Amino acid sequence: MNQFKYVSPKTKDEALRILKEEKTNACIVAGCSNVLPNIRDKILNSKLLVDITNIEELKGINQEKDKICIGPLTTITGLINSEFILKEGKVLIQAAEQFADPLVRNTATIGGNLADASPAADSAAPLLALDAVIKLESAGQQRDIQLKDFFLGPEKTILREDEMITGIEFESSNISKNGCFIKLGLRKAMAIAVASIAVNLDVRENKIAQVRIAMGSVAPMPIRLTATEEFLKNKEINNGLIEEAINKVREEVNPISDIRASEEYRRYISGILFKRAFKKLTLGS
Amino acid sequence: MKEISIEFIINGQKKKLSVKPNDLLINVIRDDLFLTGDKYGCGIGECGACTVLLNGEPILSCLTLAATVDGKEITTIEGLAEGDRLHPMQKAFLENGAVQCGFCTPGMILTATALLKENPNPTEDEIKDYMRGNICRCTGYVQIIKAIEECATKSKYDK
Repeated sequence: MNQFKYVSPKTKDEALRILKEEKTNACIVAGCSNVLPNIRDKILNSKLLVDITNIEELKGINQEKDKICIGPLTTITGLINSEFILKEGKVLIQAAEQFADPLVRNTATIGGNLADASPAADSAAPLLALDAVIKLESAGQQRDIQLKDFFLGPEKTILREDEMITGIEFESSNISKNGCFIKLGLRKAMAIAVASIAVNLDVRENKIAQVRIAMGSVAPMPIRLTATEEFLKNKEINNGLIEEAINKVREEVNPISDIRASEEYRRYISGILFKRAFKKLTLGS
Repeated sequence: MKEISIEFIINGQKKKLSVKPNDLLINVIRDDLFLTGDKYGCGIGECGACTVLLNGEPILSCLTLAATVDGKEITTIEGLAEGDRLHPMQKAFLENGAVQCGFCTPGMILTATALLKENPNPTEDEIKDYMRGNICRCTGYVQIIKAIEECATKSKYDK
């Protein structure tokens, strides 16, 4: 395995100072569940690993008024065990429960999952459906970015070389509480999604007051299907509407063919996943 | 490469070691501490053979840098039995034919003990879901699940 140096700062400021000095020589690490395989495959060739797992201020899930704030060091297991998230954004828990396996979940972090920015990242679609905001910091500077603007392409984000993720936030509301996540994989565990969908819905008197649809593995990055959302807004729910929406979904996704599935299959199944998620959310209404 | 000094407790014993930044926990456990019950399977975190308990939680030692266990507590399969007295989970595995080649067994047993600590009465589906990161090529899993179920109902699990 490649050689590298290792440091473990105790504070966020210390970590940011290291990033400022070392820039692209340094790589922020936490659980390492993705980082180590990448180092072994020589995809990642950092000279310095900055282990942030001892930085207390990056941990915890809090509620500040209407906002749920998730520390980037929150493990996937931590998400599953969070009463806050279960109450306010259960779509994220549904995704966390299908993430890898319990062993990986004990060390993998939500910050790492987002920073790695796989188009298939399991935490991305639910957070997009929650309209999450991601907090980025560098030494002396902070900026809040809509998560939908964070991803630029496969494994590419707007993170600058001296920046790190310091928080993920979403607003607690009717729509945040009513969500459904479905992941389609080639097996039940340890699967990279062939396609995944997160739908959050607010229905008033059988009309769609608001809907958010996010998908993974059907575009160069996790995406919101804003055209389909716009189409569905304020419409009365009936079977005809769902069938039309399925077509809109299939038009909006932009999948490729790879070893897991063909473009045609992904496009087709996107519509089916939308139908399943939507039906689950409107069952009984 | 700069050596990093780490102190930790493993199977109840305090250890102080110097490790390289890129040393993996599995290699330190196997090669420096000679605890070879921690098995190297896939090396990329997909088989679970390298499972150990870190502060009571099951994790993959092949995906853990040794430097990160400073100040923590590790339990390997060697730490379960008390002298000649097998841990109830070990007994259940043996009595139910849940061990064939034995390669997956340390990881299976450790993950299963963590499961019962968290959920003392799991359903079959809950067992299957929790154990899904540990793969077995020999048994077909039926006896493993039976062993875990038996351990949950029979034994006095008070850890």
